[in-house]
Amino acid sequence: MLARIITGLSAGAAYALVAVGVVLIYKCTRVLSLAQGEIGAFGFFIGLRWAARGIPGLGWHPARFVTLCIAVLIGALLGAVIERIVIRPLVGRPPLDALIATLGIALFLALLEKELFGTATQFAPSPVGEWKVSVLGATLVAPRIVALGSAGVIALAIYLFFSRTRFGLAVRATTGDPTVAKLMGVRVNRVYRFSWVAAGALAGLAAALLGPAFGGLTPFAMTKFSLRALAGAVIGGLDSIWGAIVGSLFVGVLESVVGGQFATSGSAEFAVLILVIGTLVARPRGLLGTEGAA
Amino acid sequence: MTASRVASTVVVIAVVGGSLFVGNVRLSILVGVLVTAIAALGLDVLVARTGELSLAHAAFLGVGAFTAVNVGSRGAPWPVTILAAVAVTAAAATIAGLPSLRIRGLQVAITTLAFQEFAEVFLFSRSDVTAAGRTWTRPSFVSSDIRLYLFALALLVLVLVVRLRVGVTKAGRALLAVRDVQDRAVCFGVEPGPSKLLAYALSGAIVGLAGSLFALKAGSISANDPFLLLESLQLVAILVVGGTGSPAGIVTAAVLVKGLPQFMSTIPFTHLHADRIVPIASAALLVIAVVAAPDGIGGLYRAAGRLLDRWLDPRARLRPEPRARSVDRDAPGAARLPHVQRSLSLRMPVPALLEARDVRVEYGGVTALGGVSLEARRGEIVGLIGANGAGKSTFFNAVSGLAPVTGSIRYRGVELVGRRASGRSALGTSRTFQDVGLLRPESVVENVLLAQTWLARYAAGVGILGMGGSVRTEGELRRRARLALELFGLDHLENERVGSLPYGTMRIVEIASAIAAGPDLLLLDEATAGLGPEESQALGDRFLAVRDELDLTLVIVEHHVPLVARVCDYVYCLESGVLIAEGKPGDVTADPRVVESFLGRADAASGRSSR
Repeated sequence: MLARIITGLSAGAAYALVAVGVVLIYKCTRVLSLAQGEIGAFGFFIGLRWAARGIPGLGWHPARFVTLCIAVLIGALLGAVIERIVIRPLVGRPPLDALIATLGIALFLALLEKELFGTATQFAPSPVGEWKVSVLGATLVAPRIVALGSAGVIALAIYLFFSRTRFGLAVRATTGDPTVAKLMGVRVNRVYRFSWVAAGALAGLAAALLGPAFGGLTPFAMTKFSLRALAGAVIGGLDSIWGAIVGSLFVGVLESVVGGQFATSGSAEFAVLILVIGTLVARPRGLLGTEGAA
Repeated sequence: MTASRVASTVVVIAVVGGSLFVGNVRLSILVGVLVTAIAALGLDVLVARTGELSLAHAAFLGVGAFTAVNVGSRGAPWPVTILAAVAVTAAAATIAGLPSLRIRGLQVAITTLAFQEFAEVFLFSRSDVTAAGRTWTRPSFVSSDIRLYLFALALLVLVLVVRLRVGVTKAGRALLAVRDVQDRAVCFGVEPGPSKLLAYALSGAIVGLAGSLFALKAGSISANDPFLLLESLQLVAILVVGGTGSPAGIVTAAVLVKGLPQFMSTIPFTHLHADRIVPIASAALLVIAVVAAPDGIGGLYRAAGRLLDRWLDPRARLRPEPRARSVDRDAPGAARLPHVQRSLSLRMPVPALLEARDVRVEYGGVTALGGVSLEARRGEIVGLIGANGAGKSTFFNAVSGLAPVTGSIRYRGVELVGRRASGRSALGTSRTFQDVGLLRPESVVENVLLAQTWLARYAAGVGILGMGGSVRTEGELRRRARLALELFGLDHLENERVGSLPYGTMRIVEIASAIAAGPDLLLLDEATAGLGPEESQALGDRFLAVRDELDLTLVIVEHHVPLVARVCDYVYCLESGVLIAEGKPGDVTADPRVVESFLGRADAASGRSSR
C-alpha cells in the first residue's frame, strides 16, 4: 500500500508538470488548454528523432540529455506559435472557443505525430540516467524521481516569480482585468506569450520524463496523460499553482492505489471520474482555487 | 419565398436525389456519414442551446449502438430496439449532465472528458456491455443498402423536425435563457436545472438514434474505435467546421470529414491518401474555423444565400439593411393586450399589492439592505430613489428572488420569501434590469416569447413533440408578443437581434417583454437610463398609460427626478440600505436629508446622477 502511494506520487508529479503549465496558461489568459500533452509529446518525438541514442553499454549519455533539451525547446516554441496565431485572436471571445481551439491543436499535433513518427511505441532511454531508488518498498526509476523533484522546484520558482518580481505583478494584474492592466501600462500580450512559452517548455519536460518512466510514448498517449493533468488542475483549482500540484499528486495516488486494489479494468479511471465530479460539485472552485476559478 | 430558399430547396433535392444513384458501396458509406451527421446534430443541440461542450458524445454513440445490439440480438422488434437505445443513451447523457447543475463551461467539458475515458476503459471493455459475439439481424424492411439509406435519411429528417420544434417551443427558449443569463433565467419563469437536463437528455436521445443506426448497419460490433475520444473530438470538429446551429453546414462537414476519405478510396487510381490527409486537415480546419470563421460552413451558406437574393432581386439591392428605428410615439393604446388568467385574483381584498416588512439582504457580512419596509398599493406608481449603491436594485432582487432575504415580502398577501423564484412571473410580478436582462444574441420577438414562458402551459417535452395543444398555444403567444411590441411601437423590430439595437431601444424592448408576461406588478430598474430627455418624457407618459389601461402597479427605480415628480404617486428614498424618507414626490425631493444624500451629489443641471 505504502509502495503504491509512493509510485502514485511519482506519477502524480509528472502529471503536475503538465498541470502547472495548464494553470499558468489559465491564470494568464483564462484559456483552458487541452493541447499541453501533445505539445510536449511533439517536442519529445522530435527530440528522439534528432538526438543520438547514446553509446551502448553506458548508462547515461549527454546526447540523451539533448533529447530533453530539444523537447523543452520545441515545446516552448510551439507554445509561442500557438499563442501568437491561435490564442491572441481569441482574446475576448467566449472561453469555450479557445477550449475548442486547443482541442483542435491537440488533435492536429497527435495526427501529425502519427504521420511523421508512426503509431509504434517510441521507446526512450532516460535522459537523466538509469539509476533507481528504493523508498519504503517502492522502486522509483530516475525519471520519476527527477519529475518529483522538478515539480517541487518549478512550483516554488513560479510562486516566487509571481510574488516577488515586477513581471509577476504584471501577470497578476492581467489576470485580474486585462483592460485595466493594459491601461496601467502592462504589456498584456507579453504576459500571454510568457505563459504559453513557459507552459510549453514544462510540457516538453514532462513528456521527456514521462516517456522513459512509462515505457515509451505513442501519439495520443500524452493526451491520456494530459487528461490526468487536467483532472489534477481542475481538482486543485484552475488558478492555483499549488492546487495543480496537490490535485495531480492526488490523482496519481488515487489511480495507483485503486488500480492496484481492483483488478477490473477501468476502476482507476472510474475513481478519477468520481474524484473530479465530486470535488467540483462540492467545491466548484477546486481545493485551493479562488472564486475566479469557478 | 425568396430566391435563396428556392435555390437551397432545389440543391437539397438534387443532392439527395443524386445520392440515391451512387451505387451500393457508396450508399453504405453514406449511411455511416449519416450516423456521424445525426450524432453531430445531437451534440449541436447541447452546444448551441446551452453553450456547454460535451467531449463524451462518441461514448454516447457507443452506448446507443451497444444497447441496440444487446436488445435487438435478443429478438426484440426493431422499433423497440431503437426506442431502447434512445432511452438508455438519453439516460446516460442526463447522468453525465448532472454536474452541470453546479458547474459551468470549462469544468463541464472536463467532466465529460473524464466520462468519455471512463466509458472507454470501463464500460466498453466489458463483454456484456459490448454484446460481444451477438448480432442484431437486420429487419427485412432495410435489407438492401438503398433501403437502409432511405431509412437513415428518414431518421435525419426526424431529427431535423425535432430540432425545429425545440426552437419554437418553450424548452428551446428556456435553454437560451440559461445559456445567456443563467442566474436571471428564473425571472422569466425558467427553472435552469430541469431545462439543462432536458437538453442533455435530448442530445443523448438524438445520439442514441445515431447509435442504433450504426448498429442497424453493422449488425454486430467488434471494435470500439468509433466510440473513442478521437471520435468525440472529431464530432466537435464537424460541429465547429459546419457551424453551430446550422444543420446544413453540419451535414456538409460530416460528409467532408467522414465521407471524403472513404469515397476517395472507392475511386480507382487515386494515389492521394485521403484517409490520412483528411483527419489532419479537419483538425487544422477546426482551429482555423474557431479563429477566423466562427460561423463555419453554415455561415458561408447564409452569405451565399444573401448574395443570391440581392443579385436576383434589384429591390433587395436598393433596400437598405433593416435599421433599428427609435420608439414610435404614436403607438396604439394598451387596451388590446388581453388580460391573463391567473390563480390569484385581483379582487382579493389586500391593503397593498406589495408589502415589504423589515427586508434584509446580506452578502457575506456586508449589509446591502438593512431592514426596509415599504408598500405599493394597487394602481400606484411608486418611485424608489437613492444614490448608487443605496440598495434599490437589491430590493428588486429581493422581490424577484435573486437575493438571500430575511424579513417578509407579501405580494397580494402571499409571502414571497422562501418561494421559488421561477414561480413569480406566474404570480404576477415582472421586472427589468439596470443593465438590460435580455438575450442579446436573440431576436426581439424571441425575448418577448421567453418572458411569456409561464403562459406556455404545456410540458416542455410534450411541446417538442407538438402535442398537448402546444402548437395552438404558441400561435396565441406569438400574437400576444406582437401586441405587446405594438404597444411600444416596436413591432417593426420583431426580427431584429436585440444586441444590434440602440441601448435606449433595448430598454424599451425589455419593458415590452416584461409587460407581455401579463404582470399586475411591474418593477422597472432605471428604465430611462440611456434615453434622451424627450424620450424619457414620452416613456413617462407611457408609464401612466399602461398603468391605467392595463391596471398595472409600478415600482420604478429612477434617477431622473423630474420624471419621478411627474409620474409617481409615492416615493421612497434609500441610503446605504435603509429608508431615509418617504412621502409624496414633492415632499421627498424637498427633504433636506434626501437633498444631502442623493440630489446634492447628482448632476445639478438635470437632476440625473452620472453613471
